Amino acid sequence: MSTELPAKEQHKMNYVPGTASLIDDIDKKHLVLLRDGRTLIGYLRSIDQFANLVFHQTVERIHVGKKFGDIPRGIFIVRGENVVLLGEIDVDKPCDTVLQQVSIEEILEEQRLQQQAKQETEKVKMQVLKDRGLSVPKADNLDEY
Amino acid sequence: MLSLVECHHVTTEPQVVCSQFSKTKCRYSEDRGGGGDLVESLARFILDADPAIAGVGTTERPVPSLSSSGSSISSLQGLEPSRVLSRHSSMPQPTHLQKFLYFFIINLMIISHSMGFGPVSMSPGLATHMEDSPLMSIIKEVGLPKLPPHGRNDEERDLSERVPPPRSSSPVIGSPPVRAVPIGTPPKQPISHSLNHQSHHPTAVHVRAPLQHRYPPPFPERLSPNTLLNIANSPLGRSPFPPGVGPVLSQIKRAQLLNSQVAGFPRGGPAPPMLPGGGGFRPFFGGPPPPHGHRMGPMPPHGPPNHTPPIRHNTTHLHPQHRRMLTQRMQSRGGDRGRTGGDRRSRDPYSNLMTQKEKEWVTKIQMMQLQSTDPYLDDYYYQNYYEKMEKRQEKERDSSSRKEHTTKLITPQVAKVEHTYRPVQFAGSLGKLTVSSVNNPRKMIDAVVTTRSDDEEKREKQVWNKRRQILYTVEKMYSLLLEVQDFEKRFVQTPEEDREALLEQHKQNTEQLCNSMREKEWEDRVSDEQCVMIMSVRKGKRLVARLLPLLPSAQAAAIVMAIARNLPALTKKDKQDQVLCWLVEPVSAVIQSLSSSALTDLLQELQGSEGQLATVLQNKFGVTLLYLILSEGEKMQSSDPNCQLMDDNRWTELVFSVTRELLSVSSSSLSAPLFTPANLLSLFSRYVDRQRLELLQNKLQITALSR
Repeated sequence: MSTELPAKEQHKMNYVPGTASLIDDIDKKHLVLLRDGRTLIGYLRSIDQFANLVFHQTVERIHVGKKFGDIPRGIFIVRGENVVLLGEIDVDKPCDTVLQQVSIEEILEEQRLQQQAKQETEKVKMQVLKDRGLSVPKADNLDEY
Repeated sequence: MLSLVECHHVTTEPQVVCSQFSKTKCRYSEDRGGGGDLVESLARFILDADPAIAGVGTTERPVPSLSSSGSSISSLQGLEPSRVLSRHSSMPQPTHLQKFLYFFIINLMIISHSMGFGPVSMSPGLATHMEDSPLMSIIKEVGLPKLPPHGRNDEERDLSERVPPPRSSSPVIGSPPVRAVPIGTPPKQPISHSLNHQSHHPTAVHVRAPLQHRYPPPFPERLSPNTLLNIANSPLGRSPFPPGVGPVLSQIKRAQLLNSQVAGFPRGGPAPPMLPGGGGFRPFFGGPPPPHGHRMGPMPPHGPPNHTPPIRHNTTHLHPQHRRMLTQRMQSRGGDRGRTGGDRRSRDPYSNLMTQKEKEWVTKIQMMQLQSTDPYLDDYYYQNYYEKMEKRQEKERDSSSRKEHTTKLITPQVAKVEHTYRPVQFAGSLGKLTVSSVNNPRKMIDAVVTTRSDDEEKREKQVWNKRRQILYTVEKMYSLLLEVQDFEKRFVQTPEEDREALLEQHKQNTEQLCNSMREKEWEDRVSDEQCVMIMSVRKGKRLVARLLPLLPSAQAAAIVMAIARNLPALTKKDKQDQVLCWLVEPVSAVIQSLSSSALTDLLQELQGSEGQLATVLQNKFGVTLLYLILSEGEKMQSSDPNCQLMDDNRWTELVFSVTRELLSVSSSSLSAPLFTPANLLSLFSRYVDRQRLELLQNKLQITALSR
């Protein structure tokens, strides 16, 4: 549109200067990290005053080591309080990461193995501590703050 | 209670009310004793008992209680439609008195509950009390909420449109005003008037309490994206998972078919509380399909056409925002596509899902959060930052290019309103009614502050308390300091009348600040002990650094002397914090204002006791201080040849000792200063021979480089 670019700038000017707002991020591709550790990538379509986000064409990306896998998820609505961070993805920038994309099954398998290994080490650690008479409470039993 | 209702059944005149009592009866028979029902029946009871009121619109009932149960709907259906219709056609607003009564009854419920009566066990005696006229006057004092208007046919009444019960909004009891539309509600989409309103409008959103329309607002107009995809060649290539779209599409298609089938239901039928099988997708498609003035050309062939008005028969199953999206796309296509970014965005069929209105709404909420009564208090850093930025810009820019101004966020300033809560008191009653609301919450915990008695304190605690004492002093001084520093700003802002008072206060504050550093016994000498005590804390050092410029010069000089005198102790305490260097700037300012004799004194203080200089040299701040003093002396000497510095030999001797120390001390223990003044070399050249000078030069330069 002929007025596209000025309109875009006008967007920025219209809205609140000097503050951070998600309005300018709408319709752009974003990566969001949730509190439970999930990584979602999608187009940010809608927001509200609580920073609840509506993502479109969302993909959940699982990283294990140097591999990653994408699971298509469709439309996601994220409650604002669960967002850790959110950042825009530059689609134009050439993507030259060392990460290697694998299929969904493979990445899920990898993740399972990783979780298993983690659990093993955790168990061993707890055992060792127990032998010494110490105990570290599990994180999920603690309060969040 | 049941019996009461039944016995009055006979005396009432209007037939309609009679039917309602029967309704009540049947409801009670279903064992639905609940506060709302009771209230309602009580209200009716009173209204009927009092003949004065009975004549006035007796037929109004609050909506929620009617639709509070599914079974009651069926009982509603049992009524003759004509009677019901007539009731609603008259549609009078609930009268004032009724509203009073309603609220009063609620209050009574509260009281009765607190008194331990069960909801159903209200005694007849209490019932008769309700008729007393003083109560009416009492009720008039208290405001009542507006009962929600019900302007819908029974058939169209939708269970999901149930409004929440009205809230009390009386300023007397301190509750905040009830808005018709709660603050957090997103903007309504423009409702396109549709002739084929379906009786079963299940909308996913039903939080907009009072419905002003017969047709509930549609789900924000959205186009089924997959429909669109179907229609035009969309940039599916951008979508990360094209194959995934396939099955979804067919699902949606199926849902649309179902939808269209559902839409074909007869309008006059009973309002089905059920959601059709395709209801899973119902929220997706939401409210009534708006009328489309024109049919979209490329439309996917759909199932059985609706029986609804022939013009729209193919569009009802489509998502309401279809037309809007398509026109948007056509618009965006029509425009030129200069940049790839804009290009992409214009080809993105899902862009602008969030309308401009909605964006503004979110922004409005953000702005609302920024309202403040005193921006300099609430948003100090932003305001100051902006001021600095402005000043910087003015400096950089010439007056010619004044066009661009960075936009400033102008936060609305709200006047401060004092809300004092007076407990509500009913006339003629003993005592006050405490209704807790958002503005006056109920006190739950009675916290009493107890101070510890002296004999309980032990040694360790005393030590800890001393630190606390210091911190406390520092805090108090800080608040004074901040007030003094903000004085100018406030002075400009206050009106003329108050300026005198402000000035007075300012003077007092400064006075107090000065006194705080003084000894308790001798009001005119700076207390060493106090100084050191304050500076043992990190915040105290910062405080002194900020305080020095404000003090009168004599006092400032005295403080600097005290610092110099106690430098070893200070450096020891500062080992962890390492923040003595904050003092460099203000101290240098003070030094530059010193007289020659004072300077000499200062140098002497610095060297004071045995070995002090050595300690001083080990510390960065100490070295810097020393250099500052020497540099100042040199400046004095070079500028004014007959200055008093050389009058007595003190200065010379002191400098000699300094140079001796500098030379003797090892390079490793010599700390690097913050900066080395340029004229040191010339200073030393006056006093030492060339050999020593070279040595000094090397040493100091080494230290300078090793910064």
